[in-house]
Amino acid sequence: MVVRESRRIRAMLAAACVSGLLVAGPAALATATAARADSSTGATSGTTLRVAMDSSGVDTLNPFTAYFNGALDLFGSIYPSLTSIDENGVPGPYLADSWTLSPDHLTWTFKIHSGLKWSDGQPLTAADAAWTLNLIMTNTVAGTANGTLVSNFASVTAPDATTLVIKTKQPQANVTYVSIPVSGIPIVPQHIWQSHVADLKDYKNDTFPVVGYGPWTLTDYQTDQYAKLDANKSFLLGAPKYDHLIEQLYKESDAAVAALKAGQLDYINGVNATQFSSLQHTGGITTAQAAGDGWTGLELNPGARTRSGKPIGTGNPALSDPVLRRAIAQAIDKKTLVAKVIDGQGQVAAGYLPPAWPQWNWTPQAGEEQSFDPAAANKMLDAAGYKTGADGIRVDPKTGKPLNLRLGIHSDSSNDSAISTYLVGWLKAIGVGVTIQPMSMTALNSDLGKGDWDMLMDSWTTGPDPTYLLGIQSCSTLPGDDGNGGNTDAFFCDPNYDKLFAQQATIFDPAQRAQVVGQMQDILYKADVDQLFYYATNKVAASTKVTGLVTGKPDNGFYPAQTSFWSYLKAAPVAQSASASSGSSTGTFVGLAGAVVVVGAGAVVVRRRRGADDRE
Amino acid sequence: MSAAQTATEPVHAEAPAAAPVPPRFAAARRFARAFRGRPAGVAGLSILLLFTLLALLAPAFIGPDQLDVTKVNGPLLAAPSGSYPLGTDQAGRSVLLLLIWGSRESLEIGVLATVLTVVFGSAIGIVAGHFGGFVGRALMHVTDWFIALPSLPLAISLAAVLGQGSASITIAIAVTSWTATARLVRAQTLAVEARPFVERARALGAGNWQIMLRQVLPNVMPLILVSSTLTVAGSLLSEATLTFLGLGSPTDVTWGEMIHDAFFGGAFTADAWWYLLPPGLAILAVVLGFTLTGRAVEHVLDPRMENK
Repeated sequence: MVVRESRRIRAMLAAACVSGLLVAGPAALATATAARADSSTGATSGTTLRVAMDSSGVDTLNPFTAYFNGALDLFGSIYPSLTSIDENGVPGPYLADSWTLSPDHLTWTFKIHSGLKWSDGQPLTAADAAWTLNLIMTNTVAGTANGTLVSNFASVTAPDATTLVIKTKQPQANVTYVSIPVSGIPIVPQHIWQSHVADLKDYKNDTFPVVGYGPWTLTDYQTDQYAKLDANKSFLLGAPKYDHLIEQLYKESDAAVAALKAGQLDYINGVNATQFSSLQHTGGITTAQAAGDGWTGLELNPGARTRSGKPIGTGNPALSDPVLRRAIAQAIDKKTLVAKVIDGQGQVAAGYLPPAWPQWNWTPQAGEEQSFDPAAANKMLDAAGYKTGADGIRVDPKTGKPLNLRLGIHSDSSNDSAISTYLVGWLKAIGVGVTIQPMSMTALNSDLGKGDWDMLMDSWTTGPDPTYLLGIQSCSTLPGDDGNGGNTDAFFCDPNYDKLFAQQATIFDPAQRAQVVGQMQDILYKADVDQLFYYATNKVAASTKVTGLVTGKPDNGFYPAQTSFWSYLKAAPVAQSASASSGSSTGTFVGLAGAVVVVGAGAVVVRRRRGADDRE
Repeated sequence: MSAAQTATEPVHAEAPAAAPVPPRFAAARRFARAFRGRPAGVAGLSILLLFTLLALLAPAFIGPDQLDVTKVNGPLLAAPSGSYPLGTDQAGRSVLLLLIWGSRESLEIGVLATVLTVVFGSAIGIVAGHFGGFVGRALMHVTDWFIALPSLPLAISLAAVLGQGSASITIAIAVTSWTATARLVRAQTLAVEARPFVERARALGAGNWQIMLRQVLPNVMPLILVSSTLTVAGSLLSEATLTFLGLGSPTDVTWGEMIHDAFFGGAFTADAWWYLLPPGLAILAVVLGFTLTGRAVEHVLDPRMENK
């Protein structure tokens, strides 16, 4: 009897947790986290901008080893870079006022702004930049995060305080993109970091305030909770309008949205489609869509093999047939995916590089678009000898086996699972059976590398320089014969593509380079190995109490890609007097109501415990 | 032997009560009469019958096209209206139809997991109780070991290893919940084996199998039955928990999957209560139904509880 009793209690607890989560989940989370940040900012004066940190959070504050987007956003705010990216996605001045390129295209000379000082008063000179870049080039640990960006650098020197000379081994067109805020290399102060080279791997860089230079200075950081920053009022590219910046981490996006609605948060970059549609009709909140900096699509295994051509993995051999791949492409209604999965907030995709960077924009020529046409796809498969079996599934003429394909999706992505249900229906209409395999990111990438897959959901984002994204489609990224190495996206390999890839890296005229990059996108489009569905817009929601968070002018209703660097720098309170305090009282009220609701689910205990941690 | 016979009869609780009642149905009639005297149990059973009926009849009025996202054309995430009594989901499917269809797979997983749990748990329990000694101790140590394992993380890792989908969830639930049944059945087996009729059977030359299957099993059956109705409730909740955590297959339609899709698709922010509440309430109703029925059966079968 005792045993049964305990199990019943466990069942009831589970039910209580589930229902508690359903009723009060996001509100409770928002209450708990926001309350902590509020109490800790009580002492400071001036205006505070409160933003949601990227949900990935911060893996480490050490800029040499950090990968997570939350960390990269922070580095963009607290460490300088050689150049910045302007609203058109083109490199502009930051530490470097100007730069020149030698006639042999191998030597870049950057003129560094003079008279700059690190946040501890030490001078910031070209020597700091040279030291940082040299460390990344020579020290394996320092190259963990950004080593590939400087792999073609021959030498970096600082002849004087305002001159930085970078020599490359081969001509390299994207040197001005190597050190940019957020996605490029942050320059660190040599006088602080040179004593930490030996223990660079374990150095946490958590002495506050962190010595740096940028629009903000990091004054406090709590793992998986928040980062607090103070404005640098003498910042080179214009002083921030706010005195303080708080980046608050919300693991659950609904919690962040609840906090925004309650006035506890000013800005979220990256809400989902349903949240966006709802926030559009919420008072006190402005919304904007920025052109997407990435795509979502499906990759087909065209016959996985190693660099030397040895076939590997268990991919279905039928997919090596371009006819089948094209038929699959024509069976998928991308317009419906845009309308239903992302609620119309995006564009149907064709070109490999996303619209956030219009300089690389490519669209298929008239007559070459692969439009949704299941009838044509069926006809194509009939002509190629794929006969339909009794169960409606076609048979591969080469192997005599029915066409049943595996579809690997990311189990933590709601978009993946939504899209997969559509793919099953559409592919069934052309006689292709699909088995969905939801997998963790790690498992999926492991299968991908081994070639143990037929179809995988895939998505990529890119910064303004397309080199990396283009690179993962080249033959050199295939794995070695031992199965190791290689970061190929989908085992695509085409010598013509590789030739163009090498060529574009050495073209210094942006228009000419874009043309070659366009030819590469044409090859990818026609190969149907990466079938791109849509470019989802980047959806931004902000409090109407803040202006300037959304930068640039909209084109067709889409703003240019938003980076945290400019958004936080240009944000300004709408009415200086009423900005900071009015929100918090409603916030407290909502918080109290939320806390009362949560009592039953036992969240209060958790909250008290966390509060105690904070006081220590 | 007769005691053993009558104790198995509750299985046929709904046998027709024909006029001249054969002795073997008398117990069933007694049971049915006592059960009818417990309104909570009757209510629970009615809920279960209603949901079972809906689940069985669903294919008669729901075609595959109404649940296929590529074929439906309803408004996206729309509030309840005349043509969609419970509104629609993000793909424009009727939440009411999803709810009815979801009962099929949810109940199937719950019942299958319970059958696995009960069969496995009872087998271990009876064998451990009957043999005692080294075998019994070893089996109980294994059981204790499984009890000590945290069930949710174990179920999650099992589902991860076996691949996602309803089959692996069913197995994961069974693996994590058989221990309670095993402990319970072992205790009852010890009690039954101490009774004189087992000793008589042994004296008459019955072997181990004979005693376990013919003497012990019928006598622990009522207990197993009661325990299993409560296990179904637990299994349904586990199914909802695991699919909510994203271990189900996105093309399956179950109540847990519906809550998962609603939660992670942003139904909260959109205030789409019609998408979140129905599957939650359906789980609540069915779990309640099983619990009420189980409690009522327990009271009827256990004379010591009769007066309480």
